[in-house]
Amino acid sequence: MKHLVLCLKYAGLILLCFPAESQNIISLNLGPFYKSEKIALGESLSTPDSLTLHQLRFYLGHFTFYQNNAAILEDKNYHLFDLEEASTLNLTFNLPQNATFDSLAFNLGVDSLTTASGAMGGDLDPTQGMFWTWQSGYINVKMEGFSKKCPARNGEFQFHLGGYLPPYAANQRVELKTGGNSENLLLTLDLAPFFEQVNWVDKHNVMSPGAEAVRLSGILAKSFAIHAQ
Amino acid sequence: MGALLMLLSAAQRPGPEPAVLQYPKNWPAPRYDFSRNPLTREGIELGRRLFYDPVLSRDSTLSCAGCHLSFTAFAHVDHALSHGIQDRIGTRNAPALANLAWAQAFMWDGAIQHLDFQALAPISSPTEMDHSIQKIVEKLNASPRYPALFEAAFGTRKATGERVLKAMAQFELTLISAGSKYDRMMAGTDTFSRQEQNGYAIFQKNCASCHAEPFFTNFSFEKNGLPLDTMLRDYGRMRITQNPADSLRFKVPTLRNIEFSYPYMHDGRFRKLRDVVNHYAQTTALDRPLELSANEKTDLVAFLLTLTDRAFLFNPDFSFPKE
Ligand code: HEC
Ligand code: HEC
Repeated sequence: MKHLVLCLKYAGLILLCFPAESQNIISLNLGPFYKSEKIALGESLSTPDSLTLHQLRFYLGHFTFYQNNAAILEDKNYHLFDLEEASTLNLTFNLPQNATFDSLAFNLGVDSLTTASGAMGGDLDPTQGMFWTWQSGYINVKMEGFSKKCPARNGEFQFHLGGYLPPYAANQRVELKTGGNSENLLLTLDLAPFFEQVNWVDKHNVMSPGAEAVRLSGILAKSFAIHAQ
Repeated sequence: MGALLMLLSAAQRPGPEPAVLQYPKNWPAPRYDFSRNPLTREGIELGRRLFYDPVLSRDSTLSCAGCHLSFTAFAHVDHALSHGIQDRIGTRNAPALANLAWAQAFMWDGAIQHLDFQALAPISSPTEMDHSIQKIVEKLNASPRYPALFEAAFGTRKATGERVLKAMAQFELTLISAGSKYDRMMAGTDTFSRQEQNGYAIFQKNCASCHAEPFFTNFSFEKNGLPLDTMLRDYGRMRITQNPADSLRFKVPTLRNIEFSYPYMHDGRFRKLRDVVNHYAQTTALDRPLELSANEKTDLVAFLLTLTDRAFLFNPDFSFPKE
């Protein structure tokens, strides 16, 4: 709005207001891996248990970019990443002109304040199927698939991780050093630590808030890494 | 310049008409954050239509009003446990709905923290409407009537989960009960009979710690001494917090319009107010046992009946929407 007013006021200088020059766009791509192996839905990995993911969806949000610990951009929105939809795996941020950054932080899962604020649209719309209906709260992470290690019927596991009320608030803040400025960032999530620490005996179906959801969310939060491209 | 004109004309287009909640001056401010969902006449009307529309259930037979009927304080009279589609029986009694703008948590165990999200629970429950918000939004977008109602309420013809929930919340927020004899007494425009006055004193001494005025609930989770129903095995609040200290705690329900919201308690185990009062007089599970004579019980019930608000029960704005 401010820009619009300025543009109108100095109509003669309108070309100077043209935004092309002032853009500092950062593109962030997300890629889930198992160690160095790229994960694709429905394709079994080369692990001994033939681990296969059928669904991988999760919320990342409240991205903040820092330079020398000072925030240069804070974006409170949440984004639903869905491995099934390639278009959701890329995000762009419009940084202030000439700004540089050396680290960034984001939430894995929807924070309590946002959850407690009532119905939301877009990626947070309850029609996305990422909301518990019997007990309010977002499902931060939905991961479903198959493992030979899983004793359930057909070896199928389901992890629906969420919960926003203490002591079982599951959302996690992730902080990563980017080691310098880059227009193209690759954010990787390595699921190996997660699947190595799953309790296959009796916790292969986590579908409600609680201590296990918090534990598993903590493992995921530590499994992100950022790479300048 | 053309863009500017467009902006101006958009600003002049009549939007939905703001609505303001009316409630007694001595009540605290509502807890609901209206800044995120401003009440409008059109939003409330859309919410009311949705509340009364069986389109929300899988087989299009059951609306919210099927279990929450306005003439009975929006409770489900005569049904101890609620009744869903195809006669499926739920596990709890449908509570009366009133003064929801002040509530802090919803459901008998407080499973839901925000009114906007409450509707998702009955919509998705297999023993209630057995549907999904995704399918409802599809149905509404394909319907001949709803797009115009969404446009009037939200300035766009498109239904989304957010808009459906916000409109329903808007309607529910208007369900304010503040016109009972008790309220008139408090406003100085009516007087209690001796019996009611006596009952009020008994109430304040024995009941108001949990059923606090003016909402007749302190909004917390308490044990009122009911033994566990061994068939239903409903431990109340503990299901949510997983804390054994919360076993058998239930949300303190409002007592407004209690005359009409029978049967009583989370599982509808009592049919009559007299049964409720007898429970409180007998139970040894309360911190402070109550000793009530037969006359005192009668007086207490007489007071409870002053919480009936006919203007609420028969408010034409709350009943089935006319075409
Ligand atoms: C099959 C009967 C049934 C239907 C249909 C139904 N409800 Fe309910 N409602 C209940 C029951 C039972 C509870 C208590 C549930 C619990 O405590 O777990 C309840 C609780 C509520 C509450 C919480 C009240 C409080 O003070 O905690 C609200 C609000 C509500 N219902 C609104 C609705 C709306 C809106 C709809 C339509 C989308 C609806 N209900 C459909 C039976 C029903
Ligand atoms: C320690 C807190 C506490 C006290 C004191 C208390 N109640 Fe309750 N009351 C509750 C709770 C909790 C419930 C819901 C319990 C349940 O459903 O399991 C309840 C339920 C009720 C109900 C049923 C409401 C409904 O909609 O089903 C009535 C009526 C009632 N109380 C009246 C009274 C009266 C009258 C007194 C005083 C004699 C009283 N209560 C004292 C906590 C209390």
